[in-house]
Amino acid sequence: MGYGYMGRVLNVDLGAGSVEVERIPDEVYGKYLSGLGLGSYILYNRIPRGADPLGPDNVLGFVSGLLTGTGSLFAGRWMVVGKSPLTGGWGDANCGGMFSPAIKRSGFDGIFFKGVSERPVFLYVKNGRAEIRDAADLWGKDTITTESILKKEFGEHVCVACIGPAGERLSLISGVCCDQGRMAARSGLGAVMGSKRLKAVVLDGKARIPVYDRDQVHRLSGRCGRWVRFQLPLGPGTLMGYLGTLLRVLPTAMAMDGFVYKNILRKWGTGGLNQMSPEWGDSPIKNWKGSNVDWPMSRSKSAHPDYVRRHEVLKYHCYSCPLGCGGICSHPAIPGEGHKPEYESVLALGGLCMNQDTDSLFEMNEYLNRAGMDTISAGATIAFAMECYEQGILTRDDTHGLDLRWGNSAAMRELVKMMVERKGIGDTLADGVRVASGKIGKGSDRFAVHAGGQEPAMHDGRMDPGFALHYSVEPTPGRHTIGAQLYYEMFQLWKKVKGLPSKLPFQIYTKNSRYVPDENKAKEASACSRYMAVVNGSGLCLFGVFLGVTRTPTFDWLNAVTGWNKAPEEYLEIGWRIQTLRQAFNIRHGIDPNGNKLHDRALGRPPLVEGANKNRTVLIEEMMRGYWSQLGWDESTGRPLPETLERLGIEAP
Amino acid sequence: MPYTITDACVGCQACVRVCPVGAITGEKKAKHVIDHELCIACGACGRICPHASVLDPSGALCTMEKRSSWKKPAVDEKACVSCMVCIETCPVNCLALSAAKDSGDPHGYPYLKDAGSCIACGFCAAECPVAAIRMVQPPA
Repeated sequence: MGYGYMGRVLNVDLGAGSVEVERIPDEVYGKYLSGLGLGSYILYNRIPRGADPLGPDNVLGFVSGLLTGTGSLFAGRWMVVGKSPLTGGWGDANCGGMFSPAIKRSGFDGIFFKGVSERPVFLYVKNGRAEIRDAADLWGKDTITTESILKKEFGEHVCVACIGPAGERLSLISGVCCDQGRMAARSGLGAVMGSKRLKAVVLDGKARIPVYDRDQVHRLSGRCGRWVRFQLPLGPGTLMGYLGTLLRVLPTAMAMDGFVYKNILRKWGTGGLNQMSPEWGDSPIKNWKGSNVDWPMSRSKSAHPDYVRRHEVLKYHCYSCPLGCGGICSHPAIPGEGHKPEYESVLALGGLCMNQDTDSLFEMNEYLNRAGMDTISAGATIAFAMECYEQGILTRDDTHGLDLRWGNSAAMRELVKMMVERKGIGDTLADGVRVASGKIGKGSDRFAVHAGGQEPAMHDGRMDPGFALHYSVEPTPGRHTIGAQLYYEMFQLWKKVKGLPSKLPFQIYTKNSRYVPDENKAKEASACSRYMAVVNGSGLCLFGVFLGVTRTPTFDWLNAVTGWNKAPEEYLEIGWRIQTLRQAFNIRHGIDPNGNKLHDRALGRPPLVEGANKNRTVLIEEMMRGYWSQLGWDESTGRPLPETLERLGIEAP
Repeated sequence: MPYTITDACVGCQACVRVCPVGAITGEKKAKHVIDHELCIACGACGRICPHASVLDPSGALCTMEKRSSWKKPAVDEKACVSCMVCIETCPVNCLALSAAKDSGDPHGYPYLKDAGSCIACGFCAAECPVAAIRMVQPPA
């Protein structure tokens, strides 16, 4: 067996009630790494064409990363993978916490579930020995209570991933939680877990993870850690908002160095963007039809970075993270202590719904974490419902008396509960905007903003067209954690990979140039996708790799851990293989890549008439063609070309 | 790379009690066996065996050490990045994260919560990515 991985996975058949260990050949890791790559390798051939995502044929996998547990920093991410009931295609969701090393300490690189159990169960794995146990007493409990009960039974040291009531009720916007409310939220995979009647996975293991050259890994980690600890004084959080204003009014933009963003994250976490992002046009407002004019500093101060930080009692670090962007909060709106609301949750439940009630943000964030429902999709669906209400498409009769005017936080609080409990209008909204719009009809699809069924995150492609592109072309559409023009600047891949367009430090360029599709931008977007497939195969964190590929040495860590000595270009070829395999999965399951194109409103069709993104339209079709071409996929259909499949060793879909 | 037990074993079960992963089995007063699949090579069995009957992965005979003299982890908070690796890797869960400091530092740091459980494996020091932990002799 090689280094860095455990060389085996655990297969659980919930229908038969059986478990078996499967050895994975070394060459699989050489071609796909672990994590996302291993998951896609296994699921591609194991999920039959046309399988019902909520049926017994779907396979749900929990995978760790190749660098997890090896002494590399930022390597604490795990992923849940499966066929998404939300999009009908490839689904994956990423989460931090302590669950990723727990998978490997149990002796496996991944745990895969097929079949459907007759009754609620959970999986308990201790030192590599797995048992399926009854979960009748846990069914109906929220995620934090479930985790607490299981830790009381098996010890505080065990790691738990579980679903809440949203997943049990098969909400298509439900996720899988760990570490008291952190969530692998996207793709609706909580519903897949619920459909299998799998309440939780409990891991208790201490297996050692083989590393080829631990001293070299530590040398690399030491250098990376010093970059993270070096902190610039940033002043009060209000300055972040004014920095956003400055970035908006300037006619030019500047290539971002991720070190700057690292400083924001270390001080405030993602909440450092709560005022800055709306100011410079990065945050969608009022269901994507508003702008900073509707959500000025006087309103966005409801989520002032310093206010959120004031309630933080301890920085929260995921496994092997030196940054600590998370925080444990004590706030009157939440029982005891809980995770602080992240930027995505604050904007989805705040600016997107025009909600200025700070307490309600804490309360709904905590409630949704406990329910196991994606805060981004929940906020986006409420914003959609509010616009339906404004347009008269939904009335008080439809909403069971709820006054869904913009910003009514009392109605929002009630509505999220109805969504989780699938009561009244909540049942219509519990599966995201695409399903809701289909049920409501009456032309509501004009403002049902999604990409292939997935609600996009709180980053506006009209500000950075790279977001719009990746929302539209990723095999998991609507995803904000893969690429953008901004991300490419921060990854700094050109410093390690030959042939990629380079940027000067803090290079100035005109904002208008962002919107002109060209070959370089297509190359950059393709490189982002390939690189993030490597990152997600390694279990690394996006915020870690934002520091740049020389400061967070992904490729060097991989070589030191595995002993492979691959060139960066070879790793990006692995990323290309993973990306193409996921696209082939979508083709096999009948997804039309053109159908995943982002909603017109979010592309500036028609353009906004005021605000930071005034008159901006994204030329998405041209950008998609360029991206597909760079990946060796058909320019007009997005299907991987036969020669690409052959080169990458992928069976035709 | 597992440890093994030799024929010198008298079955006193000291190693069974100290093994953090339940890898050692055997009847009282009979030779014990280490399950190589489960062994994590922490070395606790070798340190505790009073009959010099444990071989380390290189085949060398382990020597008993008095438990009160087993080394313990000492954390250098100036070098520590609060990454949780040491806490996670500890096979007996004897490390924990402190609360934030009154001085305004919002990060917690690892500390030896349960010194009596520490088996001196040194995994925390070996796996610390930033060399912030040393194994030191406890004060006499």
